[in-house]
Amino acid sequence: MADDPIEQFHIEPIAEFNLAGWDASFTNASLAMVGGVAVAALFFNWAMKPAAMVPGRAQVVAEGAHDFIRGMLKDGAGEEGVQKFFPLVFTLFLFIFLSNMLSMFPGFFGVHHVFAPTSQIVITAMLALLVFFTVIIVGFAKNGLKFFKVFAPSGVPIYILWFVIIIEIISFFSRPLSHAVRLWANILAGHILLKVFAGFVPALASLGLIGILGASLPLAMTVALYGLEFLVAFLQAYVFAILTCIYLNDALHPGH
Amino acid sequence: MADRKPPEDALSNLRRRVDAARGTDGSQNAPPPQSPASLALRYGGEFGAAVIVGALLGYGADYLLHSQPWGIVIGMGLGFAAGVVNVVRVARSYNQANPVDPNAPSIPDDEED
Repeated sequence: MADDPIEQFHIEPIAEFNLAGWDASFTNASLAMVGGVAVAALFFNWAMKPAAMVPGRAQVVAEGAHDFIRGMLKDGAGEEGVQKFFPLVFTLFLFIFLSNMLSMFPGFFGVHHVFAPTSQIVITAMLALLVFFTVIIVGFAKNGLKFFKVFAPSGVPIYILWFVIIIEIISFFSRPLSHAVRLWANILAGHILLKVFAGFVPALASLGLIGILGASLPLAMTVALYGLEFLVAFLQAYVFAILTCIYLNDALHPGH
Repeated sequence: MADRKPPEDALSNLRRRVDAARGTDGSQNAPPPQSPASLALRYGGEFGAAVIVGALLGYGADYLLHSQPWGIVIGMGLGFAAGVVNVVRVARSYNQANPVDPNAPSIPDDEED
């Protein structure tokens, strides 16, 4: 059981629940997502409670995270983007980052392991579609029909424009796919890789003295990979947030 | 104590000094170094996503117009073109973020002429 690297992605219902014939059970994936949101909410509430002029350590972390996303959004979508979209991007970043980080825990209190919600394509796809539809709705609400300029780059000769527009439409619709798949594939592959290498350790160690010596190699690899996965957990949240900023910029300023 | 500055003034003074010490206009956004693997996955993802979406749009056109197989054939071709556009766009933004050092030694030309 412990040797199966896929077993960690099984969805197990915690509380069965039916909504008009649809299975809407509260599962281990739901629990992990609630955990990610709860950690973010509780930490920021606790860290910002003093709201001191000279911040303490926790407040520096909270304000640093705020300034980090604010700067990212300002670079990507300008001051207007910060005013309109800061809560969206900050929430997305914190949710993905903390879900990824929590899923690095190998498990405690009899829980076999902490589920990685971002290793499910349905969750990353919903996050990417949320951004996609936000861009479309805000784009049309703010620019009206001028939003179609996002498909027509300026300075293209008229006889080739129809072809460029088709290409741009396909490119536009490919965004949520690559947006979702990048996060999903990174987390999924990372968790499988960790389990595979960790599974070698007990298998080799059961072979006696030489096996125990040999088992130190995959053990060292697992430790190294864990460090890499912590980097990936942050980096993918960062990449998801910065791409969100770039896409939201199109909603505010269509036309390249 | 009598001529203490109002706190707002002291704060903006502090902000200016902090910004000057950082050497930028307050933006502290140095992107983390991208590993080559994640960059490769980025390029591949952008290209593959466009091909898949192009093929899907072509398939949808087939479904509506009963023009099998031309929609999916043309759609996939257009998807390839859109994928190349995506990759060029990613490469351009990557090059803008990581400009080549102008003082770097040039690669010797080993062309025989």
